[in-house]
Amino acid sequence: MGVLQYVAKRVGLYFAVLFIGLTITFLLPRLMPANPIDGYIGQIQARASGALTADDIIQLRANLEQLYGLKGDLFSQYLSYLERVVLHFDFGPSFTYYPQPVSQMIFNALPWTLGLLLISTFIAWLLGNMVGLVAGYFHTKKAATILEVVGILLYPIPYYILAVSVILLLAYIFPIFPLSPTFPVGQMTPQKFGMVIYNSLLPALTLVLAGFGWNILSMKALAVATTEEPYVTYARLKGASNWTRMVRYVFRNAMLPQVTALALSLGTVFNGALLTEMLFSYPGVGLIMRTAASGGDYNVLYGAIAISIIAVATAGLVIDLIYPLLDPRIRHK
Amino acid sequence: MIKLNDLKISYRIGNRVIEAVNGVTLTIPDGSIVGIAGESGCGKSTLMKAIYGDIQSPMSLSGGSIEYGMKGADGLPVTTQTIRREWFKSISYIPQSSMNSLNPVIRIRDQFTDFPGTDSNKKRVLERARAYIGKLGLPAEAMESYPHQLSGGMRQRVMIALATFFQPELIIADEPTTALDVVVQKEILLLLMEVQELMGNTILVVSHDMGVHYQVTHKMLIMYAGRVVEYGDTESVFADPQHPYTKMLIDSLPTIGDDSMRGVLASMAGAGGDRAYRVEPELIEVKPGHFMARPSQIVGAAA
Repeated sequence: MGVLQYVAKRVGLYFAVLFIGLTITFLLPRLMPANPIDGYIGQIQARASGALTADDIIQLRANLEQLYGLKGDLFSQYLSYLERVVLHFDFGPSFTYYPQPVSQMIFNALPWTLGLLLISTFIAWLLGNMVGLVAGYFHTKKAATILEVVGILLYPIPYYILAVSVILLLAYIFPIFPLSPTFPVGQMTPQKFGMVIYNSLLPALTLVLAGFGWNILSMKALAVATTEEPYVTYARLKGASNWTRMVRYVFRNAMLPQVTALALSLGTVFNGALLTEMLFSYPGVGLIMRTAASGGDYNVLYGAIAISIIAVATAGLVIDLIYPLLDPRIRHK
Repeated sequence: MIKLNDLKISYRIGNRVIEAVNGVTLTIPDGSIVGIAGESGCGKSTLMKAIYGDIQSPMSLSGGSIEYGMKGADGLPVTTQTIRREWFKSISYIPQSSMNSLNPVIRIRDQFTDFPGTDSNKKRVLERARAYIGKLGLPAEAMESYPHQLSGGMRQRVMIALATFFQPELIIADEPTTALDVVVQKEILLLLMEVQELMGNTILVVSHDMGVHYQVTHKMLIMYAGRVVEYGDTESVFADPQHPYTKMLIDSLPTIGDDSMRGVLASMAGAGGDRAYRVEPELIEVKPGHFMARPSQIVGAAA
C-alpha cells in the first residue's frame, strides 16, 4: 500500500508542477505590453512598402491570430493553448524559420543537448564523487589532500574561461580536436556516430572538468563527516575492511545528498547548454534558444522554456522515485 | 586470563603527553564479569580501548604490556600487535551508542556478514545468526529490517547478538545501557549475564551506574586519575570499601527513604570534600582478592 501511495503522490505532484509551469509560460508573455502580431504586421508592411490595405491587414491579423493561437479572449486562448501543448506538443510555427514547427526544431536539437549534457554531467558526478570519497575517507593522510587540491583548483574557474582555455590548448596549440566541429546530418551510420563522438569530446571534456571540482569538494566534506559517525567506528572495530567501510558505510550514506545535487544539476542542463553550445557551435537546444531570443522568435522560446520545465520536473520525479531505494528511512514513512 | 603489567597509555597532544592510564597492573580471571567505574577522564575508556587493541594516534602504548592468555590462528600467543586479527572472533565489543552504531542504510542481515568473523560462508553465518537472534529475544524479521525499524532495546539486543555470535572469549561493553530506559536496561543486563553464564566468556563492563555494577558484575575495578584505586570481588567492594574514593562512589547511590544527603553535595560527604587524591600504582591486598591503592600515600582528608 505504502509504495503505491508514495508513487501516486509523487506523480500527482509532478503533473501539478507541469500544469503550473505551463500556465505561467502562457501568462507571462501576455502580460507584456507589446503585441507580437502588431510587430509582425509592421515588418510585413515595411517589406511591402506600405502596399497593404486596411482589409488586407484585417485578413492578415485574423490569419496570424489563428496561426499563433491568439484568437478570442484570454480564457479560450488558454484552453486552446493547453490543448495544443498537452495533446499535440504543438507550439506553432517558428517566426524566424516559418513554417517549420517549433516542436520539430526542439525534437531535432534535443538528442544533441541531452546526449552531451546528461552524459558529461553524470561522468563529472561519478568521477568527482569517487575522488571526493577517497579524499574524504583518507582525510588524515597527506596524499589525500592532493586530491582535494584538484577540486579547489578546478571549482572556482568560470566555465567560459575553462572552455576557451581548453579550446585554445587542445584545438589550437595542440590540434587534437577540431576547432570548429562539424556534425553529420541524415541517417546515422557507425562512421557518422564515431564522428559525432569525436566532435563532442571537447565540449564534454570542458563540462566534466567544470562539474568535477564541485563534486570533489562536496563529497569530500560529506565523507569526512560520515567517517566520524559511530557506525563507521563500530564497523572498524568489527574488523570490516577499509573497502567495506569506505563503500558500504561512508559512500552509501554520504551519497544521499549528492544524489539530490545530481538530480538538480540534471534538471538545469539547459542552462549549461546555452554557453557550451555557443562556444562549440553545437547544434542543441541552447543554440536554438539563443537564436530565438535574439530574433524575437516567441514560439521557439515558449517551446524551449516548456522543455526546460518538463526536464526539471522530470528530474525531480525520477529522484523522488529512486531515493527510497537508496535511503530506507524514507521508504517506510 | 588477562594480565596487565604496569600498563601505561598516553595521548600526545601537540608537545604535551598525557598519561591517561598511568601504570595499571591487574589480573582478570577467565569467565568473570568485571565492572569498571570511575569518573569521566579517569582513564577507564582508554584502558578498554587498549585492551581491545584499538590503539591509534594520538593514543599510544607508552609502557607495560597486556597478556591475553589466548592463542591466535597461527598458534602464537595474542599480543597487542596481533589482537586486531581476533576482532569479532575471540574478542568483541559492545558500543555505547547502539542507536547509531548500526549503518542506517543497510539491513541488519548484511551487518552480520560484512566483516571477516570466524566463518567466511555467509549463507551459513546468516542461517545460524537467524536462529541465534531468536534465542536473544529478537523476532526473525529483525534480520531483514533496517536499524530505524527497531526499538532502542532491540537494537542493543542486535549489538549483543553481534558481539556474542562468534562466542568470543572476551567481550568489552562500553556503557552498554546508558541510552536505554531503566526497564530495557534491566532486560539487556539480564540478557548479557545469561549469555555470559552460557558461554563462560569474560566481560568487561564500563559504566557510571553503580547500581548496574552491583547487579551484574563479579569483580569491581575502581579507577581514578589513570590508576586503580580499588579492585576486588563486587560483594566485598560494596560491603567494605577500602579507599575513600570508592566510599564516595558507593555513597553516591541514593537510598530510598534516606534524606540525610539532601542539600549536601555528594562529593563533600564522606571523604571531606578534597578530591585531589594522589594514587600510587602499587596495590596492597587488604583481604583475599580485594586490593586497594596504598592508603598512606593519600593526600587530603581520609575518611
